Amino acid sequence: MKRPSHLPGLLAVYRREMLSLWVTPLAWLLLFVFLLLQGVSFYIVIDHFTHFTSRSIDQGPVQSYFSSLFIPFSLLMICPALTMGLFAEERQRGTLETLLTAPVSAAAVVHAKYLAALSTYALLWLPTLLYVIIVRNLADVDWPVVAASYGGLLAVGAAYLAIGLLMSALTRSQLAAVMLTTLVLFGLFILGIGERVFDPGLLRDVCGHVSVLSQLDDFSRGVVDVRRLVFDSSLASLCLFLTRRVVDSWRWG
Amino acid sequence: MKRSSQPLKQVPLEQLPLNEAPLNEVPLIEVQGLRRVYGQLVAVRDVSFSVGRGEVVGFLGPNGAGKSTTLRTIVGYLGPSAGKVRVNGFDVVEEPLLARQAIGYMPETAALYPEMRVSEYLSFRARLKRIGKRELRGHVDQALQKAGITTVVRSLIGTLSRGFRQRVALADALLGNPPLLILDEPTAGLDPNQIHSVRQVIRELGATHTVLLSTHILSEVESTCSRAIVIDKGVLVAQGPIAELRRRRGSQRALLTLHDTRQQALGLMVAAARVLGVTPVASTPSMVPVALGRGALGLVPDSVEPPPGGGGRSVPVGAADGHAAVVSFLVSFEPAADGHECLEDLVALLVRSGVRVREAKLQYSSLEEVFRVLTGADAEAT
Repeated sequence: MKRPSHLPGLLAVYRREMLSLWVTPLAWLLLFVFLLLQGVSFYIVIDHFTHFTSRSIDQGPVQSYFSSLFIPFSLLMICPALTMGLFAEERQRGTLETLLTAPVSAAAVVHAKYLAALSTYALLWLPTLLYVIIVRNLADVDWPVVAASYGGLLAVGAAYLAIGLLMSALTRSQLAAVMLTTLVLFGLFILGIGERVFDPGLLRDVCGHVSVLSQLDDFSRGVVDVRRLVFDSSLASLCLFLTRRVVDSWRWG
Repeated sequence: MKRSSQPLKQVPLEQLPLNEAPLNEVPLIEVQGLRRVYGQLVAVRDVSFSVGRGEVVGFLGPNGAGKSTTLRTIVGYLGPSAGKVRVNGFDVVEEPLLARQAIGYMPETAALYPEMRVSEYLSFRARLKRIGKRELRGHVDQALQKAGITTVVRSLIGTLSRGFRQRVALADALLGNPPLLILDEPTAGLDPNQIHSVRQVIRELGATHTVLLSTHILSEVESTCSRAIVIDKGVLVAQGPIAELRRRRGSQRALLTLHDTRQQALGLMVAAARVLGVTPVASTPSMVPVALGRGALGLVPDSVEPPPGGGGRSVPVGAADGHAAVVSFLVSFEPAADGHECLEDLVALLVRSGVRVREAKLQYSSLEEVFRVLTGADAEAT
């Protein structure tokens, strides 16, 4: 008796999620708003550098762009929207029953949905590569640093989307899922701000480790701090684990 | 999931046939002592039944009886609070994926993704059910054909009518030709034409699949199923072949047509009943004549009365004026009685008393009545 593997089910759910995300206006709307924000951010950065060329030597335009406040702000906006429907919508519509009674494991469903959100997130970032290319025409671009910056964004996104996924599983309503996710992400953001508020000490250290601003700042300078990656991936794994438990618990609820 | 099944190599040779052959004899569904609790509410208590291969079984019960809960436990959407459920020999809790692979399930809601096209949806479901890339097209086409929705392949599910959506869900259940089909209220919310065609489809499927369908409509079971399982308030109240269930009703009635000129025909009937009532020969003795005579054969057409309601007695009119008359009696036997035996005894008695019995026919009660009795609706009504 061959034990069925999880992969075909995972791939099937992944494909469906991607299709549903991109045939409905949601992903396109997010892409539009997201790129608008990024465009404004990039414009401000370039404008700044054309006027004050000599001000900061250790910070180029690409780096300024990746460490700008626009980024946490856009993450706060797109991550909850990307994940809100993942489970809440299926429960609302009742499609969850057909999905979970197919020969596919809860883990495969959870991971497929998560991967779909994560790749959509990556796709949203893809067009911003153009900014780097534009900058390259005007100045030198340190590609490893650019890679580190994108890596940092991906790590933060991975954690945030996992939180969103969990929140989507916790509620039947997409609106509630968005609000819960935003609340948690905003809480994390505010906690990070603590680094700049508190006196040196344990509290400040904790805040520093959590701070998304410091993380993006580090990575945009090419400083790949493994502790931050560990934090992000732990957060993501914890949320994924909890989501699997939540999905399993529906059977017994 | 934790317990992995043994690889074939390690199984001793003499056990191999045990693992393979009886699989076909193992009932497709085995439910043992199933109990399901929602918080304080016990939705299903100690339900046991099994469904063998090739059966078409109706799962009957009023709304809220625990039908959907039971079906959802079988398909693995809900876990049992206690008891065991096996599908195709696999425990639904311990081997959920293997158990589910044998099932084509159509939930009551028939909820689908409105943004997908029918073809996209069915391809997705086929992939979920591990149908290989090469066979996928063929499987989808076959399911579309069986469900009769080849015309809407390209339509967005969101634009389809309820009837078509139901059929898309049915096509989904058929994908991959699972041996077992579980249909939860397949005709709910459809118009009469659609209901008719869905039943037609179910009957056709019954020839090649094992089907378990739930419904609260008895005629549906009568028209599609060979066996019924009746559940009420979470308790299994009856199960058996449809005919057996009818027999269980116990309130069989018989229509007796006597050809007799004598006024005492009715009296004889009553006497016969009384005699039968005390005769130890008849194992199922007492019998109550409920009704009523009806003048007939045009001999005394004017005196034909409408049958009185409420089972009251009336004197057979035709017999009253001494003409030869045909008189019909409707007799009903006691609930526990065996209708056939009672009728035989009654006819024998009447004939012995010199009454000419023209016709004696058992009337089967409708399943509706069976259902009312089994689920105790009668007790509530009175």
